[in-house]
Amino acid sequence: MGVKRIVTAVAIGITLLGARVSAHHAFAAEFDANKPVKFKGTVTKMLWVNPHAWIYVDVKKPNGQVERWMIEAGTPNTLLRRGFTKSSLLPGTEITVDGYQAKDGALRANGRDLTLPNGQTLFLGSSGTGAPNEGTSKK
Amino acid sequence: MRGRAWALVGLVAIASLWVVGVAGQSTAWAPPRTAWGDPDLQGIWNNATSTPLQRPAAVGEKQVLTNDEAAEFAEGLAHDLNRDRRDGGAQIDVNRAYNEHWMDAKRLTTTADKRTSLIVDPPDGRLPALVPLTPERDAIRVAREESARRFNAGLPVSYLDGGLPLRCIIRTDRPPYLPTIYNNTYQIFQSPGYVVINVEMIHSARFIPVDGRPHVGKSLRQWLGDSRGRWDGDTLVVETTNFRPDDGVLFGNADAETFRITERLTRVDATTIDYTFTIEDPRTWTTPWTAMIPWNKTDEQLYEYACHEDNFDMVHLLAGARARERAKR
Repeated sequence: MGVKRIVTAVAIGITLLGARVSAHHAFAAEFDANKPVKFKGTVTKMLWVNPHAWIYVDVKKPNGQVERWMIEAGTPNTLLRRGFTKSSLLPGTEITVDGYQAKDGALRANGRDLTLPNGQTLFLGSSGTGAPNEGTSKK
Repeated sequence: MRGRAWALVGLVAIASLWVVGVAGQSTAWAPPRTAWGDPDLQGIWNNATSTPLQRPAAVGEKQVLTNDEAAEFAEGLAHDLNRDRRDGGAQIDVNRAYNEHWMDAKRLTTTADKRTSLIVDPPDGRLPALVPLTPERDAIRVAREESARRFNAGLPVSYLDGGLPLRCIIRTDRPPYLPTIYNNTYQIFQSPGYVVINVEMIHSARFIPVDGRPHVGKSLRQWLGDSRGRWDGDTLVVETTNFRPDDGVLFGNADAETFRITERLTRVDATTIDYTFTIEDPRTWTTPWTAMIPWNKTDEQLYEYACHEDNFDMVHLLAGARARERAKR
């Protein structure tokens, strides 16, 4: 494939979908790219709300206080298609959250990666279906 | 000149696809029939695609991508959406990861015939010119925009500002069925005299009588409209009218009084239905327009869309709006 053809195809590809990375949901509107958070917590509940599920996590601070965080997840039926069911993340499960905090400073975060104690990562991307028991992330 | 030549090639290509499709029905492949003799469209189907409704300006008059271009497009899309990449800075990185959570992986390609737009008529792949709105309809348009603006500013005055999808009334489960980023799943059921299309997104089923009965009276208006079907050879033809006027998402400003959609569903091989729809509304568009979207058979099941589960946010949205108003005083 010649360079010119590749350039054309890429141009068409970009045009067809437009701003494909930010197409659906602008992360920047809700969460702050300058406020990365990473912490361990214990799941207290998960709400299967359409179009975004929310995971509630209690995070124990070094001073003994407990912060109650909400972590935004994907849409329920897509989670189901990835093998993630209502029994996948039961209350009491310990997870590590890697995400970004809400712009308004509330204890809400976008969950980029959620990791179980055994190293398995929820919400795997193209490298897997994202099912909780389906191996670990490549990263 | 070169663009025009491409357009001609594209037109010929699309025309031949249609010819092949039609010829295929009568000679190469006979669609299955139900026990009572109707064409059998039953099964679970997915209409995901990245081919846009309208042809992007940048592809000019090009109607069909070459094999190389389509492959390149699919690769590019998969690469762009790959959440395992961590480049591009925090914002892009998380947008990529975050969005990938609910994207339908089946949408990573163009339609199998590699078109650059779902619209096949007008031939330029674009929506026809709009008819100017009457002052009354323009006032309704402005009121809807105001409502959306209040909601987006966090200051809804009423639950009505939330719009129909948020209120779990209607989303993309009404004809015309256009592909979206997830839940692109449709299940068709048939019984003598009826075809039912069960739509995953927001969880609704459209009952289509195919027994020749007339439409209901114009005064009975429904979110899903009033559908009547008939068989034209191997094709199910469905005409739908009587949509509700208080809707606001029926293709923007379409007039429910004159909006009419004709859908055609034809099984062209064991795993594909050609879903074609024509929209007419002389009060909105200067000409009718037609789009064609393939439905691909899927082994996936259709999941329940629990639209109101844990949906307590309306109270919070309205309480928050009142609190902001008080704080401003």
